Amino acid sequence: MKFKTKLAGAVSGIAIFVSAGVAQAETLFWSTQAKPVEEAQAMREQVLAGQDVDYQPNDGGPWLTRLNAELQAGSGTIGVLGALHGDFSAMNPDDLVDLGDLGVGSASATFNELAKLGTDSAQYIPWMQASYIMAANKKALEHLPEGADINALTYDQLIAWAGNVQAATGDAKFGFPAGPKGLKHRFFQGYLYPSYTNGVVRTFASDEAVTAWEKMRELWAVTNPASTNFSFLQEQLLSEDVWIAFDHTSRLAQAFNERPDDFVAFPAPAGPTGRGFMPVIAGVAIPRTAPDMDAAKAVVQHLLKPETQIATLRATNFFPVVDVALPDDLPPAVQAAGDAVAKMSASADANPGLLPAGLGDKGGDFNRVFVDAFERIVLAGQDIRAVLDDQKTRLQAIMDETGAPCWAPDAPSDGACPVE
Amino acid sequence: MTTVDTNPGTDTRKAGRFVYISAVVLLCAWVIVPLYFLLINTLSSPDTVNSFPKAFVPEFDLGSLSFFASFAGMLTALKNSVLVAGMTMIMSIVVGAPAGYALSRFDFRGKELFRLLILLTRAFPLPLLALPLAVMFIRTGLDDTVFGLALVHTTLAIPFAVLITFSLFSGIPLELEEAAWTLGCTRLTAFTKVVLPLILPGITASAIFAFVISWNEVFAAAVLTIENRTLTAFLLQNLDTSPLHLKFAGGFILVVPALIFIFAVRKYLFAMWGIANR
Repeated sequence: MKFKTKLAGAVSGIAIFVSAGVAQAETLFWSTQAKPVEEAQAMREQVLAGQDVDYQPNDGGPWLTRLNAELQAGSGTIGVLGALHGDFSAMNPDDLVDLGDLGVGSASATFNELAKLGTDSAQYIPWMQASYIMAANKKALEHLPEGADINALTYDQLIAWAGNVQAATGDAKFGFPAGPKGLKHRFFQGYLYPSYTNGVVRTFASDEAVTAWEKMRELWAVTNPASTNFSFLQEQLLSEDVWIAFDHTSRLAQAFNERPDDFVAFPAPAGPTGRGFMPVIAGVAIPRTAPDMDAAKAVVQHLLKPETQIATLRATNFFPVVDVALPDDLPPAVQAAGDAVAKMSASADANPGLLPAGLGDKGGDFNRVFVDAFERIVLAGQDIRAVLDDQKTRLQAIMDETGAPCWAPDAPSDGACPVE
Repeated sequence: MTTVDTNPGTDTRKAGRFVYISAVVLLCAWVIVPLYFLLINTLSSPDTVNSFPKAFVPEFDLGSLSFFASFAGMLTALKNSVLVAGMTMIMSIVVGAPAGYALSRFDFRGKELFRLLILLTRAFPLPLLALPLAVMFIRTGLDDTVFGLALVHTTLAIPFAVLITFSLFSGIPLELEEAAWTLGCTRLTAFTKVVLPLILPGITASAIFAFVISWNEVFAAAVLTIENRTLTAFLLQNLDTSPLHLKFAGGFILVVPALIFIFAVRKYLFAMWGIANR
């Protein structure tokens, strides 16, 4: 008896003590970006210094669940949302506050148009951008095939190069982010397909696509087989399991920052239809349940200031979306990546693509089509034509259901983008 | 003749001892080697962490750990974790032990069904439950409180608390209680004076189990708390994308409090398995 009353007393005592301590003054910045502890720390201490902001980075699952809960309950604590374009496009635009009258935006009209999510007004404000590039250990450079220019590689030269490295060292040292958290689908959507087929959706099952997947198989033959476990190639570059790598700029950053003299960054390779590449856009938005709308808008405006954008670049290795003059003393990773991206977009055969748009919450299914194709064709060795014809029906179903029109480099369409 | 007889005997005994000792060594290594590597890598500079082969002696570079020392909110998160785990421990026993007692002592309709149903709280994945729970918590004001999260963790821990205490109570003969009744005890005093002392170590063990369940839970913690985050919600989801040396240091920080706790209460754990503490 005494024991139990003690327990009950303790429980209620703790409960009262704890619920009394909840204070709510800061604007909650609920983000899926800048998640690594070092980046989160830099966001808090440098980017948001002096602002009354509580920066909380999260995994995608809890991020979306919490947001949906607040929207359903009709009241919330989240002030500002930070996420990728794909995360926002999966949401109902009505749940985001119109930000068109805020007076801030990206220098890129394309980005601003994407941020409208198909409505008349900006639903999120572009916040920062990145891309995918190649990186290599300098030890690999002597094995470059004859006549190859590292800043203007083709896919054939890349395969030959990785083959040379394998012949010289005995190990396959090309690294590809095919791990569970790796961004392999972006390689297919933004790099391989545009470079070989000049499209993504229309050309999904074309003959050129068959060639592309054949090349992918050749590349995989000289790829470190442990790549199915790699999600952040900076780790394998640093441990030297991998000498040549493709990944997101911020997932290569640590390698350049820790050993800037050992690595080079360079543009993605080119195929028959040009040098396909793709941007990554992160944006900030305000949910309709934000507790203090003015404070949230002030945070968004703060994030778009040129000096904040440069601080963000230092903190996260994501580049500014507004026009700013970059200072000279940037970290090595930023310099290397910025240089490679600039060369990539300035190359004569550049074939820039856009992020998938208009897919709504089917973005994950869309990625799945490409990942499944990769797993079946490259990992399981199934017939390319058969797999593409099979996956094609799934892709067409997604396009029909969402009614998403084609995006670059696919030719524009009336209505849903057709899989030809 | 005698030599022929004894030789195979000692051989078997020797071989048996060898197998026994190597099994013990293997099991210890199973647990200790990963923890040791965690420690070494925590105390190494980033360069050493990425290099191979690994050293066996840590170089006592405190860079990774001191990063976390200045990481805002760590201590509050640690405090919240301990609070939530402690409340989960208490509540799951307060609710679970009587249920276990009832299951072992009374016959009632639907008893088997009840035993099955109690496991159902573990049958649904948390990501599925988290959304309606969060909506309800926001509406009732339980949202973002340590108490609210402890309620959720208690639900997760109760099946174990009930089933463990059920088997513990079943191991205590009813005759002991009956004897106490004939000597003037009521049902309640018989329980508190006779059964409870016998069973306390086992109850503590199931409380430890509840503690560990709560300590390790991430998803509900990440969705249901914002200002009052627990250590796992605060650190774990940021660690998987962090550089290797910080992963090790963060992992170390997450493991150590749980290790200390388990070490402190280890004798009760053994008691549950009937090894010590008689």
